[in-house]
Amino acid sequence: MALFAVYLIINIGLNIQQGITGIPNFGILLAVAGGAYITAGLSTRLAVSLLGVRTNLDPVTQNVAVLQLVNPILQSQPLVAIGFLILFIIIGGVAGALMGLISSAPAVRLREDYLAITLLAFGEILNVIGIGYTPLIGGPPGVNLPDVLDWAGRYRFYAGSGVLLLVAIAIYAYAGYIIKTPFGRTLKAIRDNEPVARSLGKDITRYRSTSIMLGSALCGIGGALWALYSVAVTPTYARFDWTFLPWLMILLGGMGNNKGTLIGTLIFVTLNKLILYYNSVFVGILPFDVIWMYYLLLGFITILVLIYRPDGIIPELRTPEKQTPAA
Amino acid sequence: MESILKVQGVKKSFGSLHALDGVTLNVEEKKLTILIGPNGSGKTTLINVITGFQKPDEGHIHYGSKEITGWSPQEIYRTGIARTFQIPSMFGKLTVLENLLVAEKNHPGESLTKSIFKRLWAKRETDTIEKATKIMELLGMSEQLSTPASLLSGGQMKLVEIGRALMSDANLYLLDEPVSGVNPTLAHEIFARIIRLREQFGITFFIVEHRLDIALKYVDYVNAMASGKLLAAGPPEQVISDPKVIEAYLGA
Repeated sequence: MALFAVYLIINIGLNIQQGITGIPNFGILLAVAGGAYITAGLSTRLAVSLLGVRTNLDPVTQNVAVLQLVNPILQSQPLVAIGFLILFIIIGGVAGALMGLISSAPAVRLREDYLAITLLAFGEILNVIGIGYTPLIGGPPGVNLPDVLDWAGRYRFYAGSGVLLLVAIAIYAYAGYIIKTPFGRTLKAIRDNEPVARSLGKDITRYRSTSIMLGSALCGIGGALWALYSVAVTPTYARFDWTFLPWLMILLGGMGNNKGTLIGTLIFVTLNKLILYYNSVFVGILPFDVIWMYYLLLGFITILVLIYRPDGIIPELRTPEKQTPAA
Repeated sequence: MESILKVQGVKKSFGSLHALDGVTLNVEEKKLTILIGPNGSGKTTLINVITGFQKPDEGHIHYGSKEITGWSPQEIYRTGIARTFQIPSMFGKLTVLENLLVAEKNHPGESLTKSIFKRLWAKRETDTIEKATKIMELLGMSEQLSTPASLLSGGQMKLVEIGRALMSDANLYLLDEPVSGVNPTLAHEIFARIIRLREQFGITFFIVEHRLDIALKYVDYVNAMASGKLLAAGPPEQVISDPKVIEAYLGA
């Protein structure tokens, strides 16, 4: 559930960029990991200073000891904890938008394929920073985050999933709304025909960067939520999990529309769980390690979708119900 | 008589090719002027230079009392010049109505922050839809409003392009081959509608067109170009009987 919610948020963020504005952002890892890392780096520090915890310990290097002081406070005061949760979600969004701003520098200048490669590289650079620059998230061992959901006790899993789902639903509703506004319409117009949009007085550069920042902010929120939910972050946010899988999901569901993104995410996450769950059944039957089956099936699905449903399960463009006779 | 657009000595080269080699011409207000010339004579380049898609190497362009040389396409659109493209250029996944709505100038709902609050732009949107519907009625396409633009025929796309340009409330319209690839009946109809629009709104058209058989009976002035230079300008009868123009066209 939690994974579904996080992926839904990130996929909506990606869909705004690729599906609606036509910017092939292969670097959403930058925004997702940026949201996660910056939230992780700031959360303990903020908790220490805002809760007035007196300590000489370093929030990053002596992270576990500091959290032993912070977490009991959060556990006993659910409202404060929820306040922190909301604050961290905002930080994640701002961090994502910031990453989007960085991505948009090449994005408004480069052509599609070069842009995709450049943004792909950006995501990798952030991981290198995460490993090498210890004050951020403590280098390779990573860092723990204050547990803002501890108050739920043994219902933590449900509380976490619930919060994530709630945020995801809110973002889904917002994205559905934005697509229908004149703003969304102009983004789609730019995607469909850039020179004409320019001839109609649209500031292409501004719209493209706004779209990237909006999409990246959502990806950042997704990353921050995932970090808060799993209470730990290591600089191993993989390109595979946080770039290719979201792409696969929006391809599967159908780009440029909200419902497609929802269906794609739902099918994919379910499939994902099923494959991992039933993997053990195939031990001994398949001539290779069953771990690879997951990747093989994903590749297979991608190819099938691209051949038979290139517009996804729910295409953006549906034939009008009432065919009007041609003039 | 007032010239709304003045092009003076404009030059534009691509490498060693002189696409525009010192073009000077005027477009008279509230008239229908066409620009003719063989393929590669620089007609589309001239449109691109006037609308800011390409920057001229030399020369000046004045719109009314303003010098617009080197302005960006956005600025030129806002100042009151709209254009269409030679190849039908639709926003394919948007409907015909949406194609027109996009062209609205300074729509508050187009800003990310304002789009959140529907009451800030709902009224404007309703007005814009009404305006777009009227324009499509004038062009005889009110039945196609909700059709996705990519499903239209070539001729219909040409009409939608004109309609989209009209949304701008511009004074000067530069149409790049509005009837190319359109059957003769519809082509005549398109020109007849252009004439009607000009009379109704008092707007100016500057049209690049190859098909003289169709265009000539509707136009007020003709400019003829060849190899990046203006050969002749004036009323239709005078220009087409000009020996230089005949030579350029027929290669005689």
